[in-house]
Amino acid sequence: MQWAWLIPVFSFAAVPLIILFGKYLPGKGSPLAILAILGGFALFWVTLFGFLNATPDTEGCQTGEETGALTCSYQRTWFEAGFPGTDNDVDKRVRLTWGIIIDPLAIAMLGLATLVALMVQIYSLGYMRGDARFDWYYAFHALFIASMLTLVLADNFLLLYVAWELVGLCSYLLIGFWFERPEAREAAKKAFIVTRIGDVGLLVGILLLWSQVGSFSMADAFAAAQSGAIDHGVATMAALLLFLGAMGKSAQFPFHVWLPDAMEGPTPVSALIHAATMVAAGVYLVARAFPIFVASGDALLIVAIVGLVTALGAATIALVSTDLKRILAYSTISHLGLMMLSLGALGYTAAIFHLLAHGFSKALLFLGAGSVMHGTDELDIRKMGGLRKVMPITAILFSIGALSLGGIPILAGFWSKDEILIAVNEHLNPVFIVLTLLTALLSALYMARAMFVVFYGRLAESQEHAHESPPTMTITMSLLGVLALFFGFMAFNWPGDYEGIGSFLFYDHPEGFHFTWWLGILSTVLAVAAFAYAYLAYVRKSYPLAGIRGRCSGLLKVVENKYYLDEAYQWGVDRVVLVVSGFVAWLDRAVVNDVGVNGPANLVRHLGVALRLHVTGHVYSYALAMALGLIGLAIFWWIQST
Amino acid sequence: MVPLVYFQLLSAALFIIGLYGVMARRSAVLIIMSIELMLNAVNINLIAAASHREGWGSFVNFDGQIIAIFIITVAAAEVGLAMAIILRMYRNRATVNVDEIDLMKW
Repeated sequence: MQWAWLIPVFSFAAVPLIILFGKYLPGKGSPLAILAILGGFALFWVTLFGFLNATPDTEGCQTGEETGALTCSYQRTWFEAGFPGTDNDVDKRVRLTWGIIIDPLAIAMLGLATLVALMVQIYSLGYMRGDARFDWYYAFHALFIASMLTLVLADNFLLLYVAWELVGLCSYLLIGFWFERPEAREAAKKAFIVTRIGDVGLLVGILLLWSQVGSFSMADAFAAAQSGAIDHGVATMAALLLFLGAMGKSAQFPFHVWLPDAMEGPTPVSALIHAATMVAAGVYLVARAFPIFVASGDALLIVAIVGLVTALGAATIALVSTDLKRILAYSTISHLGLMMLSLGALGYTAAIFHLLAHGFSKALLFLGAGSVMHGTDELDIRKMGGLRKVMPITAILFSIGALSLGGIPILAGFWSKDEILIAVNEHLNPVFIVLTLLTALLSALYMARAMFVVFYGRLAESQEHAHESPPTMTITMSLLGVLALFFGFMAFNWPGDYEGIGSFLFYDHPEGFHFTWWLGILSTVLAVAAFAYAYLAYVRKSYPLAGIRGRCSGLLKVVENKYYLDEAYQWGVDRVVLVVSGFVAWLDRAVVNDVGVNGPANLVRHLGVALRLHVTGHVYSYALAMALGLIGLAIFWWIQST
Repeated sequence: MVPLVYFQLLSAALFIIGLYGVMARRSAVLIIMSIELMLNAVNINLIAAASHREGWGSFVNFDGQIIAIFIITVAAAEVGLAMAIILRMYRNRATVNVDEIDLMKW
């Protein structure tokens, strides 16, 4: 278990090797990246079993005082600063460490990230074949996943922040991977800048915690938060600042605008971003810093509200979007909102469980969308239809992902969504559960729409030449499909010691599997009704949609334009940001530069010009000066002597 | 004996004339001549002061004369040097007009 730090190191090591020698290696270095992540995946199992067998006596492990949860952490000192002497037996040195933390949360994230990254990298062998920058693609991929794994393992906020920024950088590099296309460039910049806004909040939050606790260590910060050593207001402030970072990364309203545009990157990258890395980081951060949020209390409510607004808003946009990848992108935003909502409702287990279930399902859906793109070069769902006939494997696997996210029973998404509903129902205002159920309904509806429109019905004529994807793509999708089908069973009490995911991954007390019948039945009914309605509307065409469209044309226009948020931001940038920065630029030029910096310099120059006039270069003027000086000196001496 | 003050007046007059020459003349050669005038004014001053000086016992004080001889010696060398500089300058610039020779700045 002490060797878990090697999990990201494998992939980090692969990066320079691929960049430097990728051209000369077989497969342009891609096997290196895959081997690295395979090593990480193998080490994940070693870590998992090491952790399951660990006891509080194991080196580096201890149980939480209140929760009884086992946590293991291992540190190495990075550097120490300050005087080594002691003041009242308190070591005044600042010590920065690089360390890893291994607890159920970290293990769950490790499993998700390594598995999805492995699948995506194998899938990319087929998808990216023949790309001019194939080696760079795998180098960025390895760096991306290595950063994410570091982020998950980090036991202090400083290391977490370093990894956090690396994740942001890699998303920029991969979204803009096809930078020849202007849309890709713009999308990459948008993703980077929008998430940077949140990152500033995260940094300020980390520094605020450091100023309160005097250490970057998460364990210290959480202990201080739990014991009440941090003032309630400060805890709320710190929690909200951390949440700001999470909002940027996890594409929460109003920072969600970058995620749909990020579809400009290669589709496997989207799968990775949406399932295992980038956006999972935000949810992970809130879950990791959960003690601070709980200590604040108020922050949790804000997390829940932001999550609900995001979930509902994004679900409505997904319902009217016509681009397959954008439907999936808005679906991701909506489900991330659900995870945040769940965290806000103290549904710690439910949120992470949904993160895992959604991760597998969404990775599957994106790989399916990539397969569709690979076969048809088309993303507009209005031009697709009946692809089931030419791409049967992709159709089945995509349908599994869609049914899972739509919340059809026994698939993974149903169980995790059910856990969220229970948490929301137990801990929040009834308004929340109503809106959450509405989101669940919309979620089923847009997944059903995408699935039926693309794969079922009559085969579009332009798609008759579409073909099934190569085995590297279908096999990886199949593995994810199996997970999307059966991962939900992790929630159950199994025969033996395992008592559901709530007994392994929990915040304050272990919880066995439980099921609220009316919620389960209601959500099932909603999901099945949504799928049935979509089948009738899109496959049988027995419900003419034009009537509904006509009646709601005003609302439809607003939603189709994504609530005009992009326009609002554009207006804000044009009218506010650029005006303010124009003023600041003017202030900088006119006041700071011209007066403050150039002013003294100009003064000295003009003085020099004036003064140099007396230096004529003529011998006689110097002689005159000497004579006058001598006379002056004589007069002075004469006056003094009398 | 002629009172000392007459010698000093003569010396001062010569010095002022020399100084005026240095200031007002444009020709480098004339400036050198004016400098010679000033030097000789100083010499007169020194020798007059020395000869009017009270002796101390049987010794006569020769300090003034000695300094005057030094000045004459140094002035001869200085004139030689100055004329050489002026010749080089004339070679380079075809003029000895000090108005046009303004290299000694900045």
